[in-house]
Amino acid sequence: MDILKQLQTQAEQVEVVQMRNEAASAEFEANRFKTSKVEETSGVAVRIVRNGRLGFSASSDEKATDRLLANVLESAAFGDEIPLVFPAPKPTPRVKTFDTAISGLPVTRLVEIGQEIVDLILAVEPEARVNVGLQRGIEQVTVRNQAGTEVSFQRSPLSIGTEISRIEGDDVLILFDLVGATTWEEDYLAFARRLAEKLQLARKITDLRTAKMPVLFAPAGTLALILPLMEGVDGKNVFTGVSPLVGKVGEKLFDNKITFVDDGTLDGRFGSAPFDDEGVPHRRNVLVERGVLKSFLYDLKTAAQSGVESTGNGSRRLFNPPQPAPTNLILEAGDTPVAEIIAGIEEGLLVEDLLGLGQGNIISGAFSNPISLAFEIKKGEIVGRVKNVSIAGNVYDLLKDVTAVSRETLWVYNALRLPYILLPEMNVVAKG
Amino acid sequence: MKDRMRSALKTSKADYTEIRIEQREATNVVFRGANLETAGAVVDTGGIVRCLCRNNGWGIATFNSLDDLPARVKQAYECARVAHSDEPIELAPIPVSEERITVSLARDFRGISLAEKKALAEGYNSIVRTFSDKIIDTNTVYQDSFTHLFFASSDGTFIEEERPMITVVAAAIARDGDNVQTAHETHSGQRGFEFVQDCEQLARTAAQRAVELLSAEAVAGGQYPVVIDPVLAGVFVHEAFGHLSESDFVYENPKAREMMVLGRRFGQDLLTVFEDGSIPGLRGTHRYDDEGTPTRRNDLIRDGILVGRLHSRETAAKMGEQPTGNARAINYRHPPIVRMTNTAIEAGTTSFEEMIKGIKLGIYACDAYGGQTALENFSFSSGYAYMIRDGQIAEMVKDVILAGNLFTTLMNIDAIGNDFQWIHHAGGCGKGGQAPLPVAFGAPHVRIQDVVIGGK
Repeated sequence: MDILKQLQTQAEQVEVVQMRNEAASAEFEANRFKTSKVEETSGVAVRIVRNGRLGFSASSDEKATDRLLANVLESAAFGDEIPLVFPAPKPTPRVKTFDTAISGLPVTRLVEIGQEIVDLILAVEPEARVNVGLQRGIEQVTVRNQAGTEVSFQRSPLSIGTEISRIEGDDVLILFDLVGATTWEEDYLAFARRLAEKLQLARKITDLRTAKMPVLFAPAGTLALILPLMEGVDGKNVFTGVSPLVGKVGEKLFDNKITFVDDGTLDGRFGSAPFDDEGVPHRRNVLVERGVLKSFLYDLKTAAQSGVESTGNGSRRLFNPPQPAPTNLILEAGDTPVAEIIAGIEEGLLVEDLLGLGQGNIISGAFSNPISLAFEIKKGEIVGRVKNVSIAGNVYDLLKDVTAVSRETLWVYNALRLPYILLPEMNVVAKG
Repeated sequence: MKDRMRSALKTSKADYTEIRIEQREATNVVFRGANLETAGAVVDTGGIVRCLCRNNGWGIATFNSLDDLPARVKQAYECARVAHSDEPIELAPIPVSEERITVSLARDFRGISLAEKKALAEGYNSIVRTFSDKIIDTNTVYQDSFTHLFFASSDGTFIEEERPMITVVAAAIARDGDNVQTAHETHSGQRGFEFVQDCEQLARTAAQRAVELLSAEAVAGGQYPVVIDPVLAGVFVHEAFGHLSESDFVYENPKAREMMVLGRRFGQDLLTVFEDGSIPGLRGTHRYDDEGTPTRRNDLIRDGILVGRLHSRETAAKMGEQPTGNARAINYRHPPIVRMTNTAIEAGTTSFEEMIKGIKLGIYACDAYGGQTALENFSFSSGYAYMIRDGQIAEMVKDVILAGNLFTTLMNIDAIGNDFQWIHHAGGCGKGGQAPLPVAFGAPHVRIQDVVIGGK
């Protein structure tokens, strides 16, 4: 008997989510293709509201339905009373997230692409050690509930992680990149060319002095600035009062140049899908508009707790209940070309990547990180790589005054679209 | 299960094949603030087949349905055939084992009702919540998991093992205006329910620290002599040094091999670092690793000199050394890779009082929020810290982040405490997309000269 129907006789509300995933991957270790893998995962997650109380359970064992049912009923016996309502059917947004050009990729083609990446890097840096992991998946999510919602969507994520290390004596240089999409991109090597460029730039090492100076964050480095915001707009942190943004909707908190958006409806992006994992349609959520805080991200539960509507940001993995999470996050482009920004810097730092992001008390906005890759800018030109440098500050102070946001943006870490951001002055600590 | 696995292995055309199957049941209770986030149990069953074709490569198939194991073996074999290796890939030999490992728990958590587990977590949660009106949020977690694991390889090894794990976490979030501070305490082990009872002090400690941090000043950045507590010392030796001892980092990389050449001096004579996956009762302990190699003690640094490293069967063969029992996987969705188990700095002779006595201005850094390393460079956040002034522990400071170069930092260790302890924290290690892997740390207090502290 169908689990939904079976549970409906015992609970006011029922949600059954089926997840099925097939994936193929190829891994290059130290420039050599070495391992390939096929994965098949499937499972069922169930939530019920019984006597007003919410229960959750999940199982990857298709033969364990009885235990799944017993577990979810036991869970609901102790669950919290939350005014959560599973949604009625809504129109389906059109979002392209499935591409046979990806779903049909055989392992052998993944291996060829990986080899192209390795060759491209070794051509500029023969001493480099390149690890590449390529994975393509076919994901199928079906969400059904007692209110009549029955949505099903397919995604074909392709993601490529590349790690390059170059060791010379005790000097270790490590570059990392992760790119992903759900539709095929013709210029799939663009990121690798950028890595090769950085490797070339990184050959020359320069000495930086400890000083206050302008700091230009490259897109991946910009992550340091937006991680605290990601935590701050999370509906759960807002509801619990942990977020420093509580009660500040409508206030101007940042520079005019800052516009920050969550958008799960973009065709082909890694974080896109027509619906979230609770069957709520994805939409464009403007979080910060020209420096003014506009809204937060909610799933069904945190929305119910806060007395608002879900923003379509319910995200889950099989064995955990949904949580609010961003889909694709976009820091909108500015109007200055990056070349012009660099040309205007007399003495400054270009931060490509930091070490230890996400550590410490990030929700407060504070960060302090050593830099894993950064370049010195002098008289409008990049002059060399700096080592043993760290930067610190508080995002909520720093983003009040932004000198420039670049016209160019890049997709980094799969689902983040970020520009270059120039801050007028930061403390840069260099240890020789 | 044994017969099914062995007959599936017989169908393999690969040079080496292994099958690992796991049946896991886990309970999770989470409170955040006044709200119960979740309380419930899940069932997870699945398996992995790994094939090696010496002249090709590794092939892996993972799955949830256990219906057709020979088909999974065939999938993994076909994957292994895709690669090509100029040099044959070898595995170092290990003894063939056949063993059934069962555990007996004082209070087996599988027989305890969800009501009792929830009540336990609720009790700790209310201690944190009601500690002060400055506590605005909590994250109190009870977790148990019991895994029944089967491992069979084409070498003839068959291991059946029960793996229990139980954990409590108490996290407190305190707020005063825009100032938000967090603190957390954890307790975890391969033990029964009794292990996480009577942990009220742990909840109080977390709450008290979060509140204290509200009035702590941010540390002034600069170079200081730093004394680190056993927790931070353990995390430091794991993150900054331990990962470099994992041979998959060096075995295909001549430059890294040079950097990690045995016999190189890494510290002063007083520094000894070891790894031991065989010590009963610790989180990183198992009798066999996930390739069926028996675990053992492995010295990494002895008297300041690099003397050893951690291996899987493949890295050991490649480097002409012995397997060390360090091939581990977090679960059936992943192949084993070279990992740590229980990592420790051996006890020294200095008392804590002697260690801080001579420090005019320094920092006493405790506990770890997390850490990251990029080979020689590392960064760690301490959970909380105090200034040391004129040989005395002085005011609490916050946002203490230690950064530096591994080689100089290890050489700068100039005192090691006589107060060694194993840490039963729930911390897990992440590597190669596999996290969190249960590991343990052990260390005494350690003093390091000239550490760069990030700050304002």
